[in-house]
Amino acid sequence: MLEIKNISKTFNPNSVNENKALKNVSLKLEDGDFVTVIGGNGAGKSTLLNAIAGTWLVDSGSIILDGEDVTRLAEFKRAKLLGRVFQDPMMGTAAKLQIQENLALANRRGQKRGLGWHISPEEIESFKETLRMLDLGLEDRMTAKVGLLSGGQRQALTLLMATLKQPKLLLLDEHTAALDPKTARKVLDLTVELVEKNHLTTFMVTHNMKDALNIGNRLIMMNEGSIILDVSGKEKEKLTINDLLELFNKTGELNDSMILS
Amino acid sequence: MLSFSALLRALPGNIAQGMIWGIMALGLYITYKILNFSDLTVDGSFSTGAAVTVMLIIAGCPAIVAVLIAFVAGCLAGLVTGFLHTVLKIAPILSGILTQIALYSINLHILGNKANQAINVNDYSLLLTLRNTKMAILVALIFAAVLIAILYWFFGTELGSAIRATGNNSQMAKAQGINIDKMKVIALSLSNGIVALSGGLLAQYQGFADVSVGRGAIVIGLAAIIIGSVIFEGKNKKEINFSILLGSAVIGGIIYYISIGIVLWLKLPTNDMKLFTAILVAVFLSVPNLSLGKKKEDKANAGN
Amino acid sequence: MKKLLIVLFVLLLLVGCSGEKGGDEGDKVFNVGVLQLIQHDALDKATEGFKDALKDKLGDKVVFDEQNASGDSANCAVIANQFVANDVDLIFANATPALQAASTATDTIPVVATSVTSFAAALNIDNWTGMTGTNVTGTSDLAVGALEKQAAQIVELLPDAKKVAIFYCSAEPNSVAQADEIEGYLDALGLEHQRFTFSDSNDIAQVAVNACEWADVVFVPTDNAVASYASEDQFSKPVIAGEEGICKRIGIATVSLSYYQIGYKAGEMAADILINGTDPATLPVVEESEMSKMYNPSIAAKFGIEIPSDYIAVE
Repeated sequence: MLEIKNISKTFNPNSVNENKALKNVSLKLEDGDFVTVIGGNGAGKSTLLNAIAGTWLVDSGSIILDGEDVTRLAEFKRAKLLGRVFQDPMMGTAAKLQIQENLALANRRGQKRGLGWHISPEEIESFKETLRMLDLGLEDRMTAKVGLLSGGQRQALTLLMATLKQPKLLLLDEHTAALDPKTARKVLDLTVELVEKNHLTTFMVTHNMKDALNIGNRLIMMNEGSIILDVSGKEKEKLTINDLLELFNKTGELNDSMILS
Repeated sequence: MLSFSALLRALPGNIAQGMIWGIMALGLYITYKILNFSDLTVDGSFSTGAAVTVMLIIAGCPAIVAVLIAFVAGCLAGLVTGFLHTVLKIAPILSGILTQIALYSINLHILGNKANQAINVNDYSLLLTLRNTKMAILVALIFAAVLIAILYWFFGTELGSAIRATGNNSQMAKAQGINIDKMKVIALSLSNGIVALSGGLLAQYQGFADVSVGRGAIVIGLAAIIIGSVIFEGKNKKEINFSILLGSAVIGGIIYYISIGIVLWLKLPTNDMKLFTAILVAVFLSVPNLSLGKKKEDKANAGN
Repeated sequence: MKKLLIVLFVLLLLVGCSGEKGGDEGDKVFNVGVLQLIQHDALDKATEGFKDALKDKLGDKVVFDEQNASGDSANCAVIANQFVANDVDLIFANATPALQAASTATDTIPVVATSVTSFAAALNIDNWTGMTGTNVTGTSDLAVGALEKQAAQIVELLPDAKKVAIFYCSAEPNSVAQADEIEGYLDALGLEHQRFTFSDSNDIAQVAVNACEWADVVFVPTDNAVASYASEDQFSKPVIAGEEGICKRIGIATVSLSYYQIGYKAGEMAADILINGTDPATLPVVEESEMSKMYNPSIAAKFGIEIPSDYIAVE
C-alpha cells in the first residue's frame, strides 16, 4: 500500500538551524495496516507523516502510494489518495462554511471541480445519515457554520470528511492531542470504528503510549529522524508501557553517551 | 443657506456614483472577504477598465461590448497578480502593488499616452451618464443585480465553493485536493474583472477616463464593504444570505457617496472635505465596536 | 444599525418637509458653483481671478459655492452633480477633469472653464471652430510663443549655460508636446539638451538629481505633476519654469501667462453670461493670453542671478 524508500529531509540546510529531520527512512505498510507512531519531541514522526502527505518534498528517496510514485507530486494532487486529520481541530475544516458544504468538499476530494452545484439533494440525505453516526446532533445543524462547533465536534467532523471518500491511506497527526480527555476518548473510539468499518490503512502519530499500544496492529517508534522500533502482530500485543519507557530511556542514554564519546 | 431639498435633489447623483463604486466593491469583496487576499491591483485595474471602455467607445464599439471587454482586461490584470503571487511566490500585497504600478504605464498606453481622454455624452451613446442620474441609477442597479446573481450562483458551484474553502482555510483546501494556487488566480481575475467593469461604468458616467481615476479605489471599496457589513450584519450574527451580503457592499458604496454629498452640502471648508468624509465613514465603522454583543462573537470566532 | 437607519430616515423626512425655495426677485443674487480639481498654486490663482472679476462686475450680487475635488478626478462628478442639484446659475470649472464632469452633468447651466489647454481635446470636439456650440466656454491656459520666449530667457539670464535638462512627467501629453517644441528653439540657440522624465510623482527627487548632475540649467514645461509635487531643494541648478506656479515653487524665472489673468478673463465672460444673458455657445473660447516675464526673488538670489528691471516678481 505504502512504500517509503530511503527518504531524507533536512530543514534549513547549511545554516546554524540545520535540522536533519528524516535520515534515510524506509517503511512499508501492508493493505489494512493500522500503524501507531510514537517518539519524543523532534523524533521525526510528524515529519514522516508530512513527507507522505506532501507538505513539502523530500530531499532524497521515494514514496510509493498505492503503486503510484508520489515523491514529486504536489500536496493537493496526493490528496486524492489520502485522508488527513490534523492536530489542530481548526485545521481540518473550513470555519466559515456550513457543515454540509465542508462534507460536500470532502466528497469531491481528488475530483475535478466544475460549475455544477456544490452539493446534491442525494448528498444532503446521505450526509445526514453519516452524521447521525456521530451522535452529536450535527445531522440537524447541517447548514450551521463549522466555526460554531466545539473543537471535539470539529475533529469528529474532520475524521468523517477524511473517510467520506475512501482514502488509500488515512493520516492522523496527533489528532486527539488538543482535546480534553473525555472528548479525546470519543474521537479515538470513532477513529477505530471508522477504520474498521472502511478497512482503512492508517498511519496514526500519537504522543499517548497507551493508545499506541492498545490500538492498531503495528507500532513504530522514532528517534532523531530514524525508525528505531517496528513491531507488529503478536509481538506488539506483548509490548508494555514499561518496555517502551525503557526503550525511550535507552535512546536517551545512548544519545548522551554518543555525545560524550 | 442650507436647504434640505438641495441635498435631496443631489441624492440621485450620489446614489448612482455610489452604486458604481459599490459594483467595484463587489469585485473587491471576492478578494478581501472570500479569498482573504489584500489585493491592491484594483487601483490600477479600475483605471484600466475606464481607459479600455472609453477608447473602445471612441473607436466605435457599442458601450455594452466595451465594458465587457474592460471586464476581460481587468481579468488579465488579476491574472498577472495571481501569477506573481502563485508562480513567483511574491507576497500578496506586493504582488498587487507591482501589478498596480505596471498598470499605470499600461493604462497610459491604452489612453494613447495621454493622462485624460474625454467621452462626450453629446456625441456617443453611453450606458449611463451624470446628465441623467435617475437613468444612471437604473443602469447601475441592473449591473449590480446581474453581478450579484452571477456571483451568488458562482460561489455556490463546486468551483466557487473550492475558492471559498481556499480563502477560509488553505490547509483544509489542500487536504481536500483543491489546487489553491489555481483558485487564487481565478478569484483574482474575477475580482479585477468586476473592478474594471465598474471603472468602465464610471468613465461613461463622468464623461472621461483619467489615468489616476482608480487612485484610492481600494479605500473606497473597503469602506463600502465594511459600511455595508456594519448595517446588515450588525449585532445579530444570524445566517445572512450571501446575496444580501453582496448587496450590502453596494449599499455601503451608496452610503459612502451620500456621506460625501452631505459633506459637500454642509459647505465645509473645501480643503477639509477628505477629513470630514473620513470622519463620517469612521462613525459608520465604529458603530459595531461600540456594541458589546459583537465583541463577544468576535472572540468566539477568533480561532479562525 | 437600526438607529442608523432611523437617523437616515429622519434626515430624509426633514429633507422632504423643507422643500421651499428662495424667491426670485429682480435684484437676483447669482449663485455660482466653483469646481476646482486640486489644491494647486496656478489653479488657486485662477479661481481668485475669476471671483475678483465677478465681484468687480456684480458686487455683492454673487455668492460662490466653492468646492475642491482634492485631486480625485472622480470627485469632480460628485461636485458637479451637487451644483446641478442646487440649480446654480453658473458653474466655474477649473482644470480639465472639472470641465469634463461639469459639461457631462449639465447641458443647460452655463459652464465657464479655465486652466484647460485644449477645449477641443477636453470635450472631444472634432471640428473645432473656436466655440464649443454648447453651454461651455472659457479661457485656455495655452500660451502661444511662450516656449520660444522661455528658451530665449535661458540665454538672457544664464549666458554661460551650455546644457539644458528638460524635466517633466512623461504621462502628461502637454508636457511631451512642449518638450518637442522647445528642443527646436534650444537647437537654434546652440544649446545642448537632454530629457529627464518621470511617470510617477514619487520619482521626482531622484530624476531631479540626475538632471542637475548633467545640466547647467533645468527647463520645466507647464507640468501638473511638477507643479504639485516638486520642491525647491530637489534642484541644485537653476530652473526656468513654463509657468508662474512652477516658477513660484522651484524656478528662478519664467515667461508666463498669469493664471490670475485667465481666471479674471473667465470671470468677465461669466459676468457677460449672467448679466446680459449671452449664450456661452456663441462666446468664443479665449485661446491666447498676454504673457509677462516673471522671477522668483528668493530662488534667483540663492543662485546669485541678476534680474533685469522688466521682470515682475511672482507672488
